[in-house]
Amino acid sequence: MQTHMKQNLWGYLFIGPFIIGFLAFTIIPIIASFYFSFTSYDLFNSPEWIGLDNFKEMFTSDPRYLHSLKITFIYVFAGVPLRLLFALVVAMLLNTASRAVGLYRTLYYLPSLIGGSVAVAIMWRQIFGDDGIVNLALMTMGIDPVRWFGNPTAALWMLIFLSVWQFGSSMLIFLAGLKSIPQSYYEAASVDGASFFQKFFNITIPMLSPVILFNAVMQTIAAFMTFVPAYIISKGTGGPLDGTLLYSLYLFKQGFEFFHMGYASAMAWVMLVIIGILTSLIFFSSKYWVHYESEGGR
Amino acid sequence: MKKSLLVLLGMMMILWLAACSGDDSSEDTSGDTDDTSEETDTDSDSEASGDQVTLRIAWWGSQPRHDYTLEVIELYEEQNPNVTIEPEYASWDDYWQKLSPQAAANELPDIIQMDLSYISQYAENGQLADLEPFLGSEIDDSNIAENTIEGGRINDGLYGFNLGSNALSFQYNPEILAEIGIEEIPETYSWDEYQEMAQQAADAGYYFDNGMQADVFFNYYLRQNGARLYAEDGSGLGYDDDQLFVDFFTIIQEQVEVEATPTPDFMAQLAGPEDDPVVLGDGVGIFQWSNQFVGLEDMSEHTFAFATPPGENLEDGLFLKPSMYFSISENSEQKEAAAAFIDFWVNDVEANKLILGDRGVPVSSVVQEEIADDVSEAQQAVFDYVAWAEENSTPMGAPDPAGAGEIIEQLTNISEQIAYGEITPEDAAEHFRTQAEGILGN
Repeated sequence: MQTHMKQNLWGYLFIGPFIIGFLAFTIIPIIASFYFSFTSYDLFNSPEWIGLDNFKEMFTSDPRYLHSLKITFIYVFAGVPLRLLFALVVAMLLNTASRAVGLYRTLYYLPSLIGGSVAVAIMWRQIFGDDGIVNLALMTMGIDPVRWFGNPTAALWMLIFLSVWQFGSSMLIFLAGLKSIPQSYYEAASVDGASFFQKFFNITIPMLSPVILFNAVMQTIAAFMTFVPAYIISKGTGGPLDGTLLYSLYLFKQGFEFFHMGYASAMAWVMLVIIGILTSLIFFSSKYWVHYESEGGR
Repeated sequence: MKKSLLVLLGMMMILWLAACSGDDSSEDTSGDTDDTSEETDTDSDSEASGDQVTLRIAWWGSQPRHDYTLEVIELYEEQNPNVTIEPEYASWDDYWQKLSPQAAANELPDIIQMDLSYISQYAENGQLADLEPFLGSEIDDSNIAENTIEGGRINDGLYGFNLGSNALSFQYNPEILAEIGIEEIPETYSWDEYQEMAQQAADAGYYFDNGMQADVFFNYYLRQNGARLYAEDGSGLGYDDDQLFVDFFTIIQEQVEVEATPTPDFMAQLAGPEDDPVVLGDGVGIFQWSNQFVGLEDMSEHTFAFATPPGENLEDGLFLKPSMYFSISENSEQKEAAAAFIDFWVNDVEANKLILGDRGVPVSSVVQEEIADDVSEAQQAVFDYVAWAEENSTPMGAPDPAGAGEIIEQLTNISEQIAYGEITPEDAAEHFRTQAEGILGN
C-alpha cells in the first residue's frame, strides 16, 4: 500500500506540470470565456451580465458576422476537399518506389511547416502580385490578369490555394494509409485485368476510407479555425471588402480591436457548436462510405 | 542515476515556480493603481539607486521613422548609461492590435505613442497616467505653448504629451502639375474646381491623387459645413443631415469613375506605400497630414510642394491636430524615468535634429529655432505650412470619443463598399448612421 501510494505520487509529480498548465491555460480560460459570452466585457472594466444578447445580436443585427460566417463556409467547403484530393494525388505519386522518394517527401512536406509564417505572406504577395508568376501564367494562356488582392472573391480563393498548398500533413497520413494496403490485392486485380482506375476506385478508395474520414474531420476542424493566413495576407483587415474576413479573424477583431471580448467569446462558442455539428454530420455519413477491414468489410 | 534525475527535476520545478512568482509580484504592483504617486516614488528611487532602468517604448510608423527613433534612443542611452530602452514598433494596424491585449494584461509599455482616435478609449479606462505631476519637474514645459500641451487633455487629466502639430494638406508634385497644364493650385479652391483639376489630370493620363482617407477628410468636409464627425460630448454623430455624407462620397466616387483616383482594387494590390502611384510619379499629389511630407519625399525620388485641401470654406475645415502623443502607461513602475525620456524627446536639440519634425512640428519654440539651420527645405516647408495653417484654421474641438477606433473601421469599410460600387452613397449614409450610433450609444 505504502509503495503503491508512493508510486502514484511519482506519477502525479511527473504529470504535474502538464496538469497545472492545462488547468491554468486551457480549462480556466474555457470556463471564463463561457461566462464572458453572456456578458458585455470590454477588457478594462468588469464584465456585465447581459444574458443571450450577444447571441441575439450575432444573428439579427450584425451583417458582418453573417458575411464572415458565409465566407468561412466557402473557405472550408472549397478548401478541404481540394486539399484532400491534392494530398491524395501527391501521396499516390510518392508511393511509387524511387530512390529519391525520401527527398521528395521532405520537399512536399515543407510548405506545411512554413505555411503560417510572415515570409509566406510576403512570397504570396509576390506570386499573386500584378506582375507575379500567377498573372504571368494567366497571360500566357491568354486570360486577363486578376487583381488577387483587390477583388474580394479572388482574395478568398487565394487563401484557399494557400491552404491547398499546405497539404503536407494529410499527405503523410495518406501515404501511411497507402502503404498498409496489401500489395496482393493489386496483384490479384492485375491478373484479372483491372485498369488503373478500376483498381483505384475498387481497392484504393475503400481501403483508404478510414484514413480519408480521419483527414476530413481533422482538416475541417482546422480549416474552421484558420486565422494566420487571413490575418497576414489582408494585413489584419480582412479586406478587400471583408473578402478574407474569416470567422477567427472577425472574432479577433471584435475582441482585441473593438474591445468586445464578451461578443468575441460568444462567437467562439457558436463556432464550437458549428464545428461540433459538422463533425457529427461527417461521422454520421461515414457509415455509408467508410469501409473497415476489421468489421468484415462492411 | 536516479538521484541525479531527481535533482534535475527539482531544479526545473524551482525555476518554474520562480518564473510564476515573478509574474505574481509584477501583477500585484500594477494591480493597485490608486495610490500610484507614493508607490512609484519608492519604485523609481530603488530603480535609480539600483542604477539600471529598463524602459519599454512602443510606436507605430514606417521604416524611416523606425530608423531615426532607434537613433534617438541610442543617443539617450549614451547620455544616460543607466537606462536601457527596449523598442517595440509596428505598422499602424498591427500596433493597435498588439496594444489592446497588453492593456488587458496590464503589461503596456512604459511609453506609448498615442493617437487622437484612441487616447480617449485608453485614458477613460484608466490605462494611462496623468502627466500633470511631471510638468515643470521631469518634463520642462517652459518653452511650450499652453495650447499645445492642452491638446493632450481628456476630461480632467493630461493623458498624452503632444509631440507636434499637424494640419491637413495636399502634397503635390509641381512637375506633374505643370505637365497636366495647371500652373498653380490656388490657396482656396472649391470642390468643383478640385474635380475640374482632377479631370485635367485624368485627361493627361495621370492620377490627380490617391484618394482621401475616409474618416479624416469626411470630418474635414463636415467642418466646412458647420458640423463635425463626432458630437462634442461624444454621444453620437456630429452631423444631422445625411445629405452631407452623400455629397462627400459622391465626389469621391466620381473621382474614381473619371480615373482621377486609382480604383480601390488597384490600391489594395500595392505591396506598400513605396509603390504608390504618386510616389512613383504617376500622380499629382496626396491628401494627407503635414508631417507625412518628409516621409513622402524620403520614399520618392520626386520633390513635392504644399497646397491646401479643397473647399472654399478652408478656415472652418482646417484645424491643428496633435500629430501624436507620448503617453505613460498607468501600469508603468518607472513613470519618472519615462517622463524624463519624453522631456529629452521634446526639448533636446540634438534629438530633434534626428526627429526633424516627422512626428509633427516640434512643440518647443527653442527647439524650432535651434534646428532651423539643420532642417532641409522639405522640413522647412512643413514648418511653414503648419505656421500658416495655425493662422488659417479653427480649433479642433473635443477629442475623439472612446469607440472612435471602431467608428473609423466602419466608415473605412463603408467607403470601400461605395468605391467598389456595392452600395449607393444614400444607403451607405443610413447604414453608417445606424452603426455609428449603435457604437457610440453604448
